[in-house]
Amino acid sequence: MTLTRRLRAPALLTLAVTLALALLGVWASAQEVQLETRVFEIARQLRCPTCVSESVSDSSAPIAQQMREIIQDQLVQGRSEAEILAYFQTRYGDWILLDPPKRGIHLVAWLLPIIVGVVAVSVVVLLARRWLTNSRRPVEATPEELARVRSELGLDPTQVDEPRTGRTD
Amino acid sequence: MRLQRLLIPLLVVGALGALLVFGLLRGAPDKDIESVYLGQSAPGFSMELYEPYHSEYGPTFDFAEYAGRPMVVNFWASWCLPCYQEAPVLQEYWRQYQDSGVLFVGIHTQNRDHHADGLTFLSQFGLSFPNGYDPSSEISIDWGLYGVPETFFVDADGRVILKHIGPVTPELMDQQLKAMLQ
Repeated sequence: MTLTRRLRAPALLTLAVTLALALLGVWASAQEVQLETRVFEIARQLRCPTCVSESVSDSSAPIAQQMREIIQDQLVQGRSEAEILAYFQTRYGDWILLDPPKRGIHLVAWLLPIIVGVVAVSVVVLLARRWLTNSRRPVEATPEELARVRSELGLDPTQVDEPRTGRTD
Repeated sequence: MRLQRLLIPLLVVGALGALLVFGLLRGAPDKDIESVYLGQSAPGFSMELYEPYHSEYGPTFDFAEYAGRPMVVNFWASWCLPCYQEAPVLQEYWRQYQDSGVLFVGIHTQNRDHHADGLTFLSQFGLSFPNGYDPSSEISIDWGLYGVPETFFVDADGRVILKHIGPVTPELMDQQLKAMLQ
């Protein structure tokens, strides 16, 4: 009984230390994963300089690996995403950014799809309105045309309908 | 009337076709990308030199130490075939111009853990101008390098006057070295 009591305190202490170490390990691992995720998020916005149409995130080229290391170092130093992107921009210019910056001539790339979309929707709406208006317009037909239609429908071509206007359908 | 109705679709299709042809004919876009350092001060660097150059230039090459001298900064890699093509040209022009004040410097880059391959390359062409290595590609990123080979011509004021992508040619070397030394 005494021995059990004597062992209880060291056992609890060992358990607590083990748990703390395990938690620390989990926390460190989660931090590492989070850092890596951030590295790839930023790398995804940068063009790999030596590749064809590949981002720094997707490429295994040595320069892309080094760029990811630089991103990681700068994140550890506490730099923001904007600061890291600016670091590469000052060395390579706007070309290095996969998304063109929202200024100057690059605005065309951002605005053009919106303008084209608005124009396309307007054209479709205008055409649809015109088609609807045309389809609602009364059909004007001469007595000869009416007689031909009646005969083609197997009706008496000489019968005269009451004049009326309205939809043709 | 019929022609008028067709005019807009024809213009749109024509414009898209012209854009496609332009895109296909304009060639490799990377060749057109100018260095952000053009006309600006070249970024400095410091690198370990390969052993054969230690006796003349010391173990480390520091760009700032050579301020005031026009420089030809050449980035290469031992796996890069065009680099084999240009190496004899560089050596020949270094031989001709080394007493004129211009300094050539070679940087083996984008080739982590291939130090020995670099030495083999240097001895194969007997390159006698200082060559060092950039194993982590840090220098090449600082210089905004797209690939290898790339050569920067830096004037005596430390400004980049040209970045050449691809292997250098005798014509280019003649033209640029004369311009730098004027």
